[in-house]
Amino acid sequence: MRVAIAGAGAVGRSVAQELLDNGHQILLIDKDPKAIKSEMVPDAEWLLADACEMSSLEEAELGRCHVVIAATGDDKANLVVSLLAKTEYAVPRTVARVNHPSNEWMFNEAWGVDVLVSTPRLMSALVEEAVTVGDLVRLFTFRQSNANLVELTLPDDSPYVGQRVAEVPWPVDVALVAILRDGGINTPDSDRSLEAGDELLFVAAEVQEDEIAALLSPIAHPHR
Amino acid sequence: MGCGRVGSTLARSLERREHDVAIIDLNPDAFRRLGHSFSGTTVTGLGFDRDVLRRADIEKAGAFAAVSSGDNSNIISARVAREQFGIANVVARIYDPRRAEVYQRLGIPTVATVTWAANQIVRRILPRDAEPLWRDPSGTVRADQITAPTRWVGHTVKSMQDRTGARVAFITRLGSGMIPLGDTVVQEGDLINLFLLEDQEEAVTAALADGPEEQS
Repeated sequence: MRVAIAGAGAVGRSVAQELLDNGHQILLIDKDPKAIKSEMVPDAEWLLADACEMSSLEEAELGRCHVVIAATGDDKANLVVSLLAKTEYAVPRTVARVNHPSNEWMFNEAWGVDVLVSTPRLMSALVEEAVTVGDLVRLFTFRQSNANLVELTLPDDSPYVGQRVAEVPWPVDVALVAILRDGGINTPDSDRSLEAGDELLFVAAEVQEDEIAALLSPIAHPHR
Repeated sequence: MGCGRVGSTLARSLERREHDVAIIDLNPDAFRRLGHSFSGTTVTGLGFDRDVLRRADIEKAGAFAAVSSGDNSNIISARVAREQFGIANVVARIYDPRRAEVYQRLGIPTVATVTWAANQIVRRILPRDAEPLWRDPSGTVRADQITAPTRWVGHTVKSMQDRTGARVAFITRLGSGMIPLGDTVVQEGDLINLFLLEDQEEAVTAALADGPEEQS
C-alpha cells in the first residue's frame, strides 16, 4: 500500500517506520527543513513541502495513495490535508491526528476525515478502562459505521454473574467479541459463563451503549 | 476574524456604513489598529473556536469574513460560521490560489488575494499579455481591460467593435466609468473593458494593434 504521511515529527516518523516494517510504501511530507531527517527513516520517500498546498500534493502524487495520514502538530493543517486528500484526490482512507481535544468535533466526514486519532482521548480511555468497574468505557470509534469498541468490567452485583453467554438478552446491534479473564482471551461461545471481574469487549452501535450498561450493571445504571 | 490590515480596514469601513461589527483576533494588541473611534466589539481568541465565535455574537451575525493571515484558519472558521452557525453570507481570504479555487468549488466564497494582486500588476506592466479580467464559467467568453491603443483614439466604439468582433462593455475615463454608445469616441488614456470570445483572442489583439481599417 502507498501511504502518505503529513508531518514528519516524532508521531509521523514512528508511524512511518511501523508501516515500512509491515511492507508498505511511505512518503513523509513536512514543510520545515529541520524536520526532514531522512536518515532516521531512510526507507521512506521524503518531501519538503507544505502538505496544505495543492502543488505539494500534486508533487506527492496523492492520487496514487491508498491512505493519507494527517499527523502534524497543527489541527488546522490536519483538517485541510484530510479535506484536500478526500475531495481533490479521492484518497480511499484518511486518518487524522487530533492534537487539541476541543477541536475533535470537527474531525469528521465534513472535513474528509475517515478515522481520527486523539491521543488525549485515547489515554483517558485507557486509564478508565484500567480502573473502572461496571461503567462502559469507549476504546475506539469506527468512524464510518457509528459503532464503537467498548469495554465493561462485570461488577460483582451484576445479575448475569454465573450465567452463560447464550442466556443474556443482548441488545440488538451489540456484538460481544471477547471476554478477557486472568490475562487470557476467551472467545464468547454461547456456553461460556460470565464471571465477576470479566472484561467484556463489545462492538456496539453508539445508541445501544446505555442499554449494555443498564443490562449488565443495573444497580449503577437503572433504566431511564 | 483577523484584525490585521485587511481586517481592521474592513471593520472600520463596515462601521462607517453603520453596521455593527465584532472583530476576533488571537492577539489583543492587534485591536490597536482599529483606532480610538472604533465602537464595535473586540474578542480575543481563536476564530474557529465555537465559544469565541459565540462571544462575538455570531448567532446574530448577518455576515462573516475570515481575513486572518492564515489560509487554514480562514477556511476552517468560515466553514464553522457557515455550517455550525448557519451564516449564509461568508467570505474567506485565501492566499494560495490553488486552494482558493478548491474552496470556491466547495461553496465557500473566497478572495484570492495573491492571484488578484499579481494579475493587477501584470496588467499594468504588460497590458496585452494579461490574464483576462474575467472568464465565463464555460471558458468561452472573456473580459479584458486595455488602455486605448493610440491608433483608435478619435474613432468610434462602433468602428472598434465592427473591426475586432469584440464588444465594449464600459470605459473608465478620467477615473469614472461610463457605458459607451456606438458613436462614443475613444479618447487617449481610456481604459476600455471589452468582452470577446476566447478562441478569437489573437485576432482581436491583432485587430486592436492594427487600428481602424482605413489606416491599414
